[in-house]
Amino acid sequence: MSVLLELSELRKSFGGVAAVAGASFGVADGSITAVIGPNGAGKSTVFNLASGFMRPDTGSIRFGGADITGRRADAVARAGLVRAFQTARVLTRMTVEENMRLAARAQPGERLGAAWLMPRAVARREEEVCARAAELLGLIRLQHLARDYAGALSGGQRKLLELGRALMAEPRMLLLDEPMAGVAPVLAEQLLDHIRVLRAEHGITICVIEHDMDVVMSLSDRVIVMDEGRVIAQGTPEEVQRNDKVIEAYLGRLAGAEADRLAEQAAS
Amino acid sequence: MWQHFAQLVINGVITGTILALTGVGATLVFGIQRIANFAHGEYLTFAAYLGLILNASLGQNLIVATFGAVIGTALLALGLHYLVLRPLRGRGLVAMSLITVGIGLMLRDVVFLVAGPQIRQLAIDQSAVYDLGIVRISPGQAVAIGITLVVAPALAIFLSSTGTGKAMRAVADNRDLAAISGIDIDRIGAYVWILAGGLAGIGGILFAVVQGTFDPNLGYQVLFLIFTTVVLGGIGSAYGALVAGLVLGLIMELSTWSGLAGGLEPRFKPLLAFVTLILLLLYRPQGLFGKARVL
Amino acid sequence: MGVFNPAFWIFVSVIAGIYAIMALGLYVQFSLAGLPNFGHVAFMAVAAYTMAILAVRYQVPLLWSSLAGIVAAIALAFIFGIPTLRLRADYLAIATVAGGEIIRYLAMNLPDLTGGPVGSMAMLGPTKLAMYNGGWQAMLGAISRAVSSFLGVTLSRDAVMAAIVWILAALLIILIWRLERSPWGRVQKGIREDDVAVAAVGKDVVAFKMQALVLGAVLGGLSGLLLAFQIGVFSPDDFLPTLTFYAYLILILGGSNRIYAIPVGAIAFSLLYSGTRFLNFFPLSLFDSGSRAFLRLFLVGALLVLFMALRPQGLLGDRRQLMLEK
Repeated sequence: MSVLLELSELRKSFGGVAAVAGASFGVADGSITAVIGPNGAGKSTVFNLASGFMRPDTGSIRFGGADITGRRADAVARAGLVRAFQTARVLTRMTVEENMRLAARAQPGERLGAAWLMPRAVARREEEVCARAAELLGLIRLQHLARDYAGALSGGQRKLLELGRALMAEPRMLLLDEPMAGVAPVLAEQLLDHIRVLRAEHGITICVIEHDMDVVMSLSDRVIVMDEGRVIAQGTPEEVQRNDKVIEAYLGRLAGAEADRLAEQAAS
Repeated sequence: MWQHFAQLVINGVITGTILALTGVGATLVFGIQRIANFAHGEYLTFAAYLGLILNASLGQNLIVATFGAVIGTALLALGLHYLVLRPLRGRGLVAMSLITVGIGLMLRDVVFLVAGPQIRQLAIDQSAVYDLGIVRISPGQAVAIGITLVVAPALAIFLSSTGTGKAMRAVADNRDLAAISGIDIDRIGAYVWILAGGLAGIGGILFAVVQGTFDPNLGYQVLFLIFTTVVLGGIGSAYGALVAGLVLGLIMELSTWSGLAGGLEPRFKPLLAFVTLILLLLYRPQGLFGKARVL
Repeated sequence: MGVFNPAFWIFVSVIAGIYAIMALGLYVQFSLAGLPNFGHVAFMAVAAYTMAILAVRYQVPLLWSSLAGIVAAIALAFIFGIPTLRLRADYLAIATVAGGEIIRYLAMNLPDLTGGPVGSMAMLGPTKLAMYNGGWQAMLGAISRAVSSFLGVTLSRDAVMAAIVWILAALLIILIWRLERSPWGRVQKGIREDDVAVAAVGKDVVAFKMQALVLGAVLGGLSGLLLAFQIGVFSPDDFLPTLTFYAYLILILGGSNRIYAIPVGAIAFSLLYSGTRFLNFFPLSLFDSGSRAFLRLFLVGALLVLFMALRPQGLLGDRRQLMLEK
C-alpha cells in the first residue's frame, strides 16, 4: 500500500520549548491510523503542522506525493487533507445545513460577481450542494436539526457536525483530533461506525488522535506512539501494546487503571 | 547645527515625558480594561479646559489649576467607567471601540459648545525665553519640567513600591495569574481609571503650557501620539510606556534635524507617529517591552 | 432655508443617498466580512482627490478622471488590506483609522498637488480658481432640461442629482443583496463567525476578506466622487474620520445586519443632521449656527453610545441576530 501522508523530521518549538522534536511517520493510503501518547507528547502540534495551521521549523510533509510543507491551511484542505478540531469549531450563528453547505468544494457561486454574471450555473451547483448536505446530514443522523442554529447543538452533536462538514469538503484523508472526547457513549458508538464506514465504503484514509485504548485497539490498523515530541514506537496495535518504551512512557505519566491494564496486557 | 540638535533633544525630552506620563495611564487602561479608548485624548482636552477655568476665570494660580485638573479628570474617567464602560463590558472589541469613539465625540463637542472654538492659553507669559547656554526653553517648557520632576518620580515609586501600584502592574501583565493570587480585579480596574484620569489631567495641562496655545482639538491631535506610545511600549507595560514616550518624543523632534539630510519638515511630524504606529501593529504589536501574544 | 422649502429636502435627500452608498461600502466590509474598518473615509478622499487632480491639472475628461478615482480607491484597499487583514479586530480598527489620517495629512500638507488645507479650489495655485465640476453640472443641466420638456415639470439640477444618486443606491443595494445571499456571502458569514474553521474546509480566507475590502472601497470611492460633484469644491476637512463614524451610525441606526435598513438609517441620519442645521424651534434655537455644528457632532456621539448600549439591533433589527459581538 502506498503512503499517502508522510512526515519527515518535523520540528517545532515555542519560545525555546520543543513541542515536536523530530517526528517522522507515514500513513498508508486507505488505512486507519491512531496517534497516541501522553499529554504534551506533541500529537496535536503534529496535526497542526500537517494540516498547515502551523509551519514547522524544519522537516517536510508530503501528501499524495506532493510536498505540502509550509502550505497554508486552506491550501492543504483543498489538496484533500482535512482536519477536524478537538473542540468542534462550528459556526454558531449559522444553521446546521448552512454549516454543511459552506464546506462544499468547487462552488462557482463563491467567486465575487458570479451571483450577478452566471446565476444559472450558481443555482445548479447550489442544488447539488444542498442535496449532498442533506444526504450527509442523514448519514450522521443530524437531519432533524438541519434548520437549527449550530450554537444550539450539544458538544457531541457539534463533533458530528464538524465531521459532516469535513466530509462535505470531499477529503482523501481526515485528521480527527480526539473525536470521541466529550461525546455521549451512544453517539460515540455511532461515530466509530461512521469512521469504519468512511474507510470501507469511501476509501477515505483516517488518522485519529485518541486516548481511549479500547477504541484504538478495535479501530486502527496501525498505531503511532509519541512521547516528548518524538515517535517512540509504531506498528500494529498488538505490537505497540507490548513495546517496552510505550509502557514506560505511559507508566511514567499515567498512574492507575490505564497503565496497569497496559502492563497486564503486555505481560500476557 | 549642533545647537539645533541640542535644542531638539530638549524639546524632544519635554514632549516625550508628557507622552510618557500620559502613556502610562493609557497603557494600563488598555491592558487591564482591554479596550482601545478612543476618548483618551479628550480626557486631556477636558483637563486643559478645566485648568483654564480655574486659572483664567477663577484666578487660581497654576499649581491649583493643575491639581484641580488632575482631580477633575480622574473623576471624569472614573465616572465614565462606572456609568458607561463597565455596564457595557463584554459587548465585543469593536462595539466598545465604537462606544469610546462616541464618548470622545461627546466630550470634545461639549467643550466646543461650552468654551467655544477660540484659541486659548493658560496664564503664563509665553513671550519670555529662558536662555540656558546652547538651548532655550519657554516658560511653558519650564513649568512642564517642574511638574514632571515632581510627578515622574512619584509615579515610579507608586508603581514599584506600593501595593496598589504593584497590583496594577500584575493585572496588566497577567490577569488570570493576578486573580488567582487574590487581587481584586474589579477594584484595581477602578483604580487604574483614576490613575489614568489623573495622568491625563497632568498631560492635558502640560500639553497646554508647552504648546502655549490650545483649542478643543488638543485631545484629538494627541490621541494618536498616545496610541503610538502605548503600542510602542507594549500594551500593559507601564515602564514600557515611560520609555516609549521619551523615544517617540525624541524621534519626532530629531527627525526635523538639519543634520539628517535637511531633516523632515515639521508639519510632517505627526505623519511619523502614524507610520510608526502602523508599522508596529503590523510587525511588532508587542512593542518594545510587551510579550508576544498569540492572537 | 425653512423647513417647508422643497429645495431643502431635495438637498437632504442627495446627501442621504450619498451617505447610503458610503454606508453600503462599510456594510460589505464590516457587516458581511467582519472587518472593522475605521478608516473608510480614506477611500472617499482618495477617489475624490484623484478625480479632481486629473480633471483640473491634466484636463482629463471627467469620466476617465472618475474611473481613475475608483481605481485609486481599489489600490488603496490593497495597500490597506495586504498588511492588515491578519490583525486582530481592535488593532485593525486603530491601523485603519491611522491610515485614513495619513491620507488626510498628506492631502493637507502637499499643497502643490492637492491644494493643501484650502482644498480643490487651490489646486492650480493661489491665483487660479480650480473647478472640476463643470462637466457634471452641465450634464445635470442637460438631463434636467430633457426631463422637464418630457414631463412638463421643471426639475432643478439638485433634483436630478437626487434621482441619480438614489437610483444608483437602489441598484447597488440590490446587487449587494444578491451577493449576500450567494455562496460568496455564505463564506463571508462563516469567516465572520470563525475564520479558522472556514480555512479548515479549504476556503482562501485572506482572498475573501480582500474581496470584501475592495468591493467596499469601490462603493466608498463612488460615494466620495458623488459627494465631490455635489458640493463642487472640497478640502481635507470634508474627509475627517468622523465621516467614517457617520457611516457606522447609519448602519447601527438601521440595524447592522439588514441591508435594506441602510436607506432607513441614511435618511434618519440626514434628517437628524440637516434638521439641527435648519430647524429653529426650542431648544435648538438656543444655539447659534456655528455652535449647531458642535451640537450635531455631540448628538452623533450620543447616538453612537446610546444605540450601541441600548439598541444594538438598530431601529429595524432583530435582537436575535446581533452580530457586533466578536
